[in-house]
Amino acid sequence: MLDVLTVLLTLGGLVFFAGATMGILRFPDFYTRLHAAGKLDTLGALLTMAGLAVYNLDPFSMATLLTSLKIGLAVGFIFIASPTATHAIVDAGVRAGLRPWVKQEDEQQ
Amino acid sequence: MLVHATLDFPGWGDPNAPAHLHVAPEYLEQAYEKTATPNVVTAVLADYRSYDTMFETAVVFSAGLACFFLLRVQSRKKEEEEEEDRYFRHLATDMVIRIRTPSMHVPDSPYLQQLDPYWTPRSLIVRAACRVLTPFIQLFALYVVAHGHHSPGGGFQGGVILGASLILVALSHDLRTSMKMTPEKLMGVLSPAGVLIYAGVGALCVAAGHNFLDYGALAEWLGTAPEAARSLGILFVEVGVAVCVMATMIIIYANLSSAGGHKQGL
Repeated sequence: MLDVLTVLLTLGGLVFFAGATMGILRFPDFYTRLHAAGKLDTLGALLTMAGLAVYNLDPFSMATLLTSLKIGLAVGFIFIASPTATHAIVDAGVRAGLRPWVKQEDEQQ
Repeated sequence: MLVHATLDFPGWGDPNAPAHLHVAPEYLEQAYEKTATPNVVTAVLADYRSYDTMFETAVVFSAGLACFFLLRVQSRKKEEEEEEDRYFRHLATDMVIRIRTPSMHVPDSPYLQQLDPYWTPRSLIVRAACRVLTPFIQLFALYVVAHGHHSPGGGFQGGVILGASLILVALSHDLRTSMKMTPEKLMGVLSPAGVLIYAGVGALCVAAGHNFLDYGALAEWLGTAPEAARSLGILFVEVGVAVCVMATMIIIYANLSSAGGHKQGL
């Protein structure tokens, strides 16, 4: 039962990671790439590490519960730090005067 | 000559190399019994090779000292000159004008806006997130310092994490705020104090009639077995290293990021 949950969580995380990688490689400019990296990486990390925490609980004891709680703490910190870092980088880009990408037709109008 | 001499070195990973035959097996087999420290790396670093680590700490301290002398002292003269400069932004063209002569009168105009030259843009989100994270980072740093006996970590790593958390404050707020929290003078005292703690532990061992940095000598004062005293001696020394590394990191960051002015950071 726990194994099924682990597989589901980890696979879900990998889907998001794959999406993030695709986004970083394929999106046209700085802001859109950061959007993919900031959002999907965070959720991917959340899901894969939740999978790990569940997997770790298998022979249930206080020790494994403590380890899983530590993984949960790490996830919590990633959840705060990663979007903040993305925000700071985007902010720096705006201040440095980088203009967002627009479609070619819009630019001509 | 040097290149020729290197040809006589034992091969990479050679199990019969002299370094692997004499000291290494002894360290691995006896470190736990003699120092009550499960992490052999820490035992070798802070007990068997204690002199080495003490002078490494002194090197860290002198790096901070060099940074202070090279950047800080020079900029004191420059600071006095720059103090009278006023900055105005012309709102229509967005140009910034610097006025260097203090006596020059600038008329009140709706097109001119006076700027604070030390103002840095602040982001509420970044500030709030860093405020939440910093205490946890510092707690983790203390854990790394104190847990060096059992897991990877120790004074250098813990000190760097502690220093980095304070640098994070400087980055997310501004340098003037962080210099109020960690005053330059305090850091200047803490940096050599770390080296002094290290050397002082060694001197205590001499006072107890043993060799310098032979922590077993502290057993009588601490009221423990010599092995446990070695373990505790390593902890004291690690605390000294952590204090020195933290203070030095802040000194180096503050001087480098503001070119010695300590007013406007990155």
